[in-house]
Amino acid sequence: MSDWLPGGPDRSVAAYTYDWLFADRGRVQQAVIAVALAAVLGLVAAGVVAPQSNAGRLFHVLTDSSTLAATLRLSVPIAFAALGGIFAEKSGVINIGLEGLLIIAAFTGIWTTDVTGSVWYGLLGGVVASTLLAGLFAVVCIEFRADQIIAGLAVWLIALGLAPFLSSVVYGSKNTTSVDTFPTLPEMGIPFLSDAVTVPLPVVGVAPAELPFFGALFDASPPVYLMLLAVVLSWYALHRTAFGRWVEASGENPKALDTAGVSVHRVRYVAVLLSGVLAGVGGAALALGIGQFTGNGPTMVNGKGFIAIVAYLFGNYHPVGALGSTMLFAGLDATQLTLQARDVFQVPTELVRTIPYVTVIVVLALFGRTRLPSAAGEHYESGEDE
Amino acid sequence: MSAADRARDLLGRLVRASAFERFLISASALLLSVFIGALIILGAGRMTDCSTAAYTIAVPGQFVTQFVGGGSVFAMGFCYDPFAVYDLLFLGALGDVLSNPLNSQFATTIAETTILMFTGVAVAVAFRADIFNIGVQGQLVVGALTTGVVLTFLAPPLAGLGVLATAVLLPLGLLLGGVAGGAFAAIPGALKAYADANEVITTIMLNFVATSIALFLVSREDYFKDPESFASQTVPLPDVALFPSFLFRPRDDVSVLALAFALVVLVGTWYLLQHTPFGYDLRTSGLQPDAAEYGGVDADRTIVSSMTLSGALAGVGGAVYVLMVLGNFQTGVPDYGFDGITVSILAGNNPLGVGFAAFLFGVLKSGSIVVQVGSDVPPTLVGVLRGLIILFVAMPEFFRMMGKKFGSFDRPGEPVTADGATGGGSDE
Repeated sequence: MSDWLPGGPDRSVAAYTYDWLFADRGRVQQAVIAVALAAVLGLVAAGVVAPQSNAGRLFHVLTDSSTLAATLRLSVPIAFAALGGIFAEKSGVINIGLEGLLIIAAFTGIWTTDVTGSVWYGLLGGVVASTLLAGLFAVVCIEFRADQIIAGLAVWLIALGLAPFLSSVVYGSKNTTSVDTFPTLPEMGIPFLSDAVTVPLPVVGVAPAELPFFGALFDASPPVYLMLLAVVLSWYALHRTAFGRWVEASGENPKALDTAGVSVHRVRYVAVLLSGVLAGVGGAALALGIGQFTGNGPTMVNGKGFIAIVAYLFGNYHPVGALGSTMLFAGLDATQLTLQARDVFQVPTELVRTIPYVTVIVVLALFGRTRLPSAAGEHYESGEDE
Repeated sequence: MSAADRARDLLGRLVRASAFERFLISASALLLSVFIGALIILGAGRMTDCSTAAYTIAVPGQFVTQFVGGGSVFAMGFCYDPFAVYDLLFLGALGDVLSNPLNSQFATTIAETTILMFTGVAVAVAFRADIFNIGVQGQLVVGALTTGVVLTFLAPPLAGLGVLATAVLLPLGLLLGGVAGGAFAAIPGALKAYADANEVITTIMLNFVATSIALFLVSREDYFKDPESFASQTVPLPDVALFPSFLFRPRDDVSVLALAFALVVLVGTWYLLQHTPFGYDLRTSGLQPDAAEYGGVDADRTIVSSMTLSGALAGVGGAVYVLMVLGNFQTGVPDYGFDGITVSILAGNNPLGVGFAAFLFGVLKSGSIVVQVGSDVPPTLVGVLRGLIILFVAMPEFFRMMGKKFGSFDRPGEPVTADGATGGGSDE
């Protein structure tokens, strides 16, 4: 069976899964994976055998269609920022300012929507603002050889100051007024598609949008589908095109790329601008999903840009891996929100809210030894320019 | 003059040159930020509505038309006047300092400066060891929380002792803040040293954790919330536990004693970094980690201890914030930690330079209150300037290119990297 798996056709799926989970890992990692597996199995068992126990109720919260819906919704900004981060970092520019790009796009998305009256123009406005800020970052890093980490922090802090500032200027408060949000797929009234998800399926008897758990997949708003599309396109661009190879070479061996006649600077500019475009979609979608930008404290973005960095590191710079780890973090956040909303357990909300952040730290500490592109963080100067 | 003397002389000049260059870069970055900030103020003035323009750009300007007569060919009005805003921001923070140096606005400036000195030097210590401690904000919160909470139990029994109580409680409060902040910073330090976890991410995540824990502990009466208050805060500490106000009025919440303590800490940190074996280990592992390790420095331990020292300084800053400004712990701590990053970068990560940069930022923070009261421009403008300053200090190459273009700045010397280390071995 399954002769497409490494190790040949004679190996079972179980053996392959075992290797994928446990082989070549340290004791601590193995232990954590084992505990996580046991917890998942325990939850499923509790959900089936004892639905009234605490673990059983947690299982039902987790498998609720609204949890998947919330996970997808919360994944959007993180996944887009993570995809952008992959392009930038693979090309050799560590973009730690993703958080800032999300913030500026979130505000501009709302402002443009307010001015133009269309969420799609709002999305576009967010992308433009984020790309401009990413362009500034690119010039500072590539042209003026700034330290990428410090310049990235500056991008974050500029946006953290600028978005509430502009919001106060326009709306008289750090929070903007409410604007329209994205409609969901069934609400959009697209001739064939919107009907298809709401009409009951012939065999099962329920509409796709009302399926028990996966119904959320057919009842989401456009950014969710854009996210899935962006993951596929990013994978294709990075692994199947010449541009993808240039990006890889620009981060791993810029000298070779230069020798081959491709401008390292140009590749890096494109990669960083691309990270601005992607983060812009994520930031604008975040704000337009709620219909308001809130700018108090760490703003509504609230660390999602930094979580995105961990997501792509954990996903080992692979778009699909990044989406997977994004869904993990967003899923935790969604569970946390559902638990709060339903009041299932008497847990203090302030502490539950820290779960995603603590998970990020644990993941980074246990699985954070990803190999950075060898020229990441370094300035490259072509000999001809001097 | 022997060859050795000449070499030493040359080296000295190089160091001075690069220190001078660093100063020029910081000053140019500041000016450029103020200029871009003015453009942002003008731009923001076009985004809002007002009945009369506060500032008008006209070609030819009023200066010309009042002599020549006639009107301007081109005129554009703005709702905000950048010059007025900067006047409020920079000079407003000083109050009428010449006639009354103890005025309350200047007192606020001094108070802000004092706390920024701690967060600035905390960031600087980590930076010198090549560690990005973005978690100073969280460490400050943890320090402030610990001081505020523990002293609510220790201070009331001692309140009758007067000056003696202050002599015990004040150092104890500072110590508590330092220990708590240091312990909280040791976590990302250990994670970096032993698990290779990027400290930028872990410290930022821990900022969120610190804020949430603080909110949890002081928003519930089961724990440490003041039952008589609606706000999330601890019980007010008795006056004997707080910094005494010698010169300024007590209600200005500033203490010359705290300022003096901050200055001592700056000088002490400078001495520790420049003249002790620990400081040497810290700096060399920042500049040349491989060489340091080859020279016998335990790299992992140095990372943990520099992070702990950095966090301890931030924690003491938090304690000072509680014992000088607030008088208890309240949630919603201002962004002292993030301002500390700017202060440190602006000072070239030199503890002594932190004093000046902290004063500059104290002026900005205090001035932002004057801007809020005296104009329609949102005070969050200072947040924008903070980011711009970091961005421009991070690109010394830009100013060097500009300098080369205009011919005044092409001095020989080691290129300065943004974290304040000189490119070669000539660390001062």
